[in-house]
Amino acid sequence: MIALRKIFARWEFFLLAVLVATFLIGGHISQYFLTTSNVTVTLEGIAPIALLALTMTLIVITGEIDISVGSMVGLCASAIAVALEEKASIEVAMPIGIVVGFAAGAFNGLMVSYAMLPSLVVTIGTLALYRGLAQVILEERGISTFPDWYQQIGFGTVPGTPAPWSSLIFLILFAGFAVYLHRTHWGRALYAIGNNREAARFSGIDVKRTVFWLFVASGAMSALAAILLTAYLASARSDTATGLELPVITAVVLGGVNIFGGSGTMISVFMAVLVLAFVQNSLGLAGVTPEEQQIATGAVLVATLVVFSGSGFIMKLRETVAQSRPDAIREQLK
Amino acid sequence: MTQSTATLAAASPYSARALVARILRVREVVLVLALLLICALVALRAPRFLNATNLDQVILSATLVCIVAVGQALVIIARQIDLSVGAIVAMSAFVSAEWLAANPTGSLLFVFLIGCLIGLAMGAGNALLVAVFKIPAIVATLGTLAIYRGAVLVYAGGRQISATVLPDYYEGIARAYIARVPFLVWLALITTVSVGLLARYSQIGRNIYALGSNPESAHFLGISGGRAVTFVFVLSGFLSGLVGVLWGARFGTVDAVIAPQLNLQSISAVVIGGVSIFGGSGSVYGAAIGAVIFAVLQNGVLLIGINQFWVQAVVGAAILMTVFFYSSVARRAERIQREARRRPEHPQTATKTITKAGFLK
Repeated sequence: MIALRKIFARWEFFLLAVLVATFLIGGHISQYFLTTSNVTVTLEGIAPIALLALTMTLIVITGEIDISVGSMVGLCASAIAVALEEKASIEVAMPIGIVVGFAAGAFNGLMVSYAMLPSLVVTIGTLALYRGLAQVILEERGISTFPDWYQQIGFGTVPGTPAPWSSLIFLILFAGFAVYLHRTHWGRALYAIGNNREAARFSGIDVKRTVFWLFVASGAMSALAAILLTAYLASARSDTATGLELPVITAVVLGGVNIFGGSGTMISVFMAVLVLAFVQNSLGLAGVTPEEQQIATGAVLVATLVVFSGSGFIMKLRETVAQSRPDAIREQLK
Repeated sequence: MTQSTATLAAASPYSARALVARILRVREVVLVLALLLICALVALRAPRFLNATNLDQVILSATLVCIVAVGQALVIIARQIDLSVGAIVAMSAFVSAEWLAANPTGSLLFVFLIGCLIGLAMGAGNALLVAVFKIPAIVATLGTLAIYRGAVLVYAGGRQISATVLPDYYEGIARAYIARVPFLVWLALITTVSVGLLARYSQIGRNIYALGSNPESAHFLGISGGRAVTFVFVLSGFLSGLVGVLWGARFGTVDAVIAPQLNLQSISAVVIGGVSIFGGSGSVYGAAIGAVIFAVLQNGVLLIGINQFWVQAVVGAAILMTVFFYSSVARRAERIQREARRRPEHPQTATKTITKAGFLK
């Protein structure tokens, strides 16, 4: 356990080093990189992914996964768009989107925790189902009749600062999630569930209810991400946020969260989100095409995982070598 | 479970009802029945479905997904997952089509060799990450998905290879018929049956099942997990490479963004085919039938005249329903088994209750 904790302590440090290196190299590549407007644009672009990474972290820590987030964002965006088409005001459309997000998440939660189905398959199914429903209600139309103040959520900055509104929303939520996960017994319960579900149940944790509400939270967060994304893109279509689950899961895994559950920290995921955002941004500024950026993102993910598993491997090797030394064996025999 | 079926068979070997019950407990039979039921429903609403040309199209559209799903099935049985199949298909399709466009008189055999080698290499990349570096398959192949797809996007650079520059004999692969059955269907059948036999009767096949149902016991039995995992990823890559070559032949036009849905389609076919996502149970035949069910569903929705936007929603609902069905059957079997174990003094009643459980677990 101590060895594991050591790796995680290093992991945050490692991500921080990568982030600093990105800033140094990025600043070297382009003088535009370190300007406030560039940082603002980068933060605006990553906001939906960052939000979804928060709930995804909790879900992955309990040993589940939610692949349907991209489709839930698409469905919420489509619901908002249809409400606007029906001449509803944006103040009515936004709650409709949020209710749809809650419902979509609740359905996932019901299937996973009360019908006891594997979350991987359930959310693959709802990935298709929710995207399909989005296509059914919005077909091929696109909506871009958003009022100015709504678009401000995506584009605008907090008055007097260069920080976008979406970053402020994210920071508040991040603080809440970090306190929940690391400073409350409900948060500790998530680790218990991820480490040993049966043991968690026998120690009095209501596993089913906890997992159910995590999926509901994921749905609600998707609705919020849909609002930020449609505001940022100034349009809503049925194919909004297709494939968004990939960067979200990448961020969570890059953040050192064990994909089989039981370990991971919020701050690492936060840093992983920043690393992803600024690596892509600096690559873009260096004239790297989006396709090559995709390779780079995949390579970053694979390389970190190799380093991750490699560090565990080296430790194991050291342990074995230490144990097989003659004096150590003699020590054990005593 | 195996022992109890043996008892059952010994107790009533000639009873027709027992025979029917036994046949019904084979998952594939139920799948075929479900497929026939769906076909019948579609045919009732849209008799056009049964036209020879339409049936040809349905079965042809199932073949490519079927071959990929067969590879995916073994991967999932070994308790892994391969999200990179679509990208491998795209790379293999683009490179082989490009080579053919440059060498219009080139040998077809060589094209297949190129495609399959690309698939093998990419599959080996996945295997390296999962088997050697012990990275969980879902994230390792998520990473290689981005790398492989990015690589083909960069390599293609927005180019598109269309049917006009491809030699006729290449597209002839998709139009060839042997004994009135399309060549592609034969190929899919041969692939399915040979991989099926491999999984059922070869040592590596049995190891894959053992590893999937309990990695720890497999380890203690002396089964090399690394070898089985390497095998399934390399095979999945190889079959995806093969499908890449066929893709260009079937659709004529090849670019870097083909087969974006193939990961999901293959996994869905495997899931519908009754392979447990937790590994260790199911068969490649089920996955193949799952691919056909998918093709029929998609064609059926279009033929019946349901809004085409419903296709994806129907597919999603189908996945959820089958998972629900399989897991409730499995749970029932488990419960009955547990009850039977509790009453060892009445082995006869125990055997009888097990027959009510439905499938063999």
